[in-house]
Amino acid sequence: MENVWFLAAVWLGLALVATLLAIWLKISTALSEIVVGTVAQLIIGALVGPHALGSSSAWVAFLAGTGAIVLTFLAGAELDPAVFRAKWKEAVVVGLASFAAPFLGAAAAAYWLLGWTPDASWLAGVAMSTTSVAVVYAVMLELGFNTTEYGKAMLAACFVTDLGTVLALGIIFSPFTLKTVVFVVACAALFALLPVITPRFFRRYGGRVSELETKFILLALFAMGGLAIWAGSEAVLPAYVIGMLLAGSVGRDHALIRRLRTLTFGLLTPFYFIRAGSFVSVPSLVAAPMVFVVLFAAKMVSKMAGVFPAVRAFRYAQQEGLYYTLMMSTGLTFGTISALFGLSHGIIDAGQYSHLVAAVIGSAVIPTLIANAFFMPVHLRPSEVGEADPMRRVPGGARREARNV
Amino acid sequence: MFKRILVAYDGSDGARAALKRGIELATALGAELSSISVEEHLPHYAASISEVKAAKEQIDEYFRGLTKHARDQAALAGVELETIVKQGHEVETIVTLAREGKFDLLVIGHHGHSRIFERTMGSTAQSIVRLAPCPVLVAK
Repeated sequence: MENVWFLAAVWLGLALVATLLAIWLKISTALSEIVVGTVAQLIIGALVGPHALGSSSAWVAFLAGTGAIVLTFLAGAELDPAVFRAKWKEAVVVGLASFAAPFLGAAAAAYWLLGWTPDASWLAGVAMSTTSVAVVYAVMLELGFNTTEYGKAMLAACFVTDLGTVLALGIIFSPFTLKTVVFVVACAALFALLPVITPRFFRRYGGRVSELETKFILLALFAMGGLAIWAGSEAVLPAYVIGMLLAGSVGRDHALIRRLRTLTFGLLTPFYFIRAGSFVSVPSLVAAPMVFVVLFAAKMVSKMAGVFPAVRAFRYAQQEGLYYTLMMSTGLTFGTISALFGLSHGIIDAGQYSHLVAAVIGSAVIPTLIANAFFMPVHLRPSEVGEADPMRRVPGGARREARNV
Repeated sequence: MFKRILVAYDGSDGARAALKRGIELATALGAELSSISVEEHLPHYAASISEVKAAKEQIDEYFRGLTKHARDQAALAGVELETIVKQGHEVETIVTLAREGKFDLLVIGHHGHSRIFERTMGSTAQSIVRLAPCPVLVAK
């Protein structure tokens, strides 16, 4: 299909279908978009041709790549610096264990059990090392744990794990050359300057219809992304760090975040997730289902082995520790970003990519279900311990508003 | 007769009728009146915190408006209404609250949301009538 506007209409049509499915099935739009992308490629590929959806065309790749970068920036910007400062010891210990154990465990399983190449195995380790802070956050918010010390520590640890994943993705597959040195120096300079310059610049010139803030942020993300690619690294690495560094300023500007969210979820991430789904090969999944089982099991077992002892070291009871561990075993966004990086750089093939994405999606769903069904530490919920909430909670997660008459 | 009345209120036409009947009964009987609104779940397996926060903001805004409207309606009739918002499955949540809150009358609308569930499992109203621990008045 050569007509760009027709093709864009097809993609936005798929995005609309995915959104409707997400509403009906009460799942996230991202997950729905991945599945719709897979099914669309299967059907359109069979009926029209394998390249009809245009997943590999430059403009689709650009929109999808921008979606991944801005999504990563937003993920970093959601860090709560005050909570992180208060919980940094636990966050660092648990977060690092949560990254390192599955990174090594999944890489080992891919290399020795599945016979993948060393690079493909490391890539599997990176993709499986993630924790989905969004999945964890949704559960914390729904159950009220986000206001407890327990939930805050868990969320802070998620950011450390994801930082580990992003750093690994940006460093492991990057050749160490003079370009790397230039990239590191530029990163150090920008990372030092941005938190100082950005709030002042926005105070002086921001708050206008011309959306200066959005342009400034996109400039920083594109420039550093370009430099990262030039140095053989990955564009999401600086995006995540920039997000974390600006979390205390830009991250608290709710109006700006809401506008970025509109741009991201309205146009960019549908291209990213549908494209990620379109590369999934269903025949590969059906042909070798045990590969999915091995990858998923490697992630679960190594997360258990790494996170549970680390959590217990902070004196959580067994049930609390198991729930904490299962929550830290979830993954989605950075897992798919890592897998897509591997596919687009020729580190893994379409079959390996498909199994990694399937295992990532499995890790978003299965640990959450098990944790909430069997290990939820009900006694830590705010309703049980009487913590403050703007809309006072009552047992069962209810909110009782004041009588008004 | 009835001392504690609970109205299931989700803002639908049926629920509005239930609220109206609940207010009338509470006025006539001098009973305590409460309403229960069941929140939808947040999107499961989201890609970013932003998506979850956006959904939460929308849900909160909707239920804030919903409960304010219910309290305003009750206040117009001189009735004190306690509004309760809970997360979970509609039938299970309403029935559990009716039992734990020791309500002696549950007023529900004939049609709420959760249409897919209704088609596959039977209507929400039917399930509540079957499972409720107290008399149920279905308003039309």
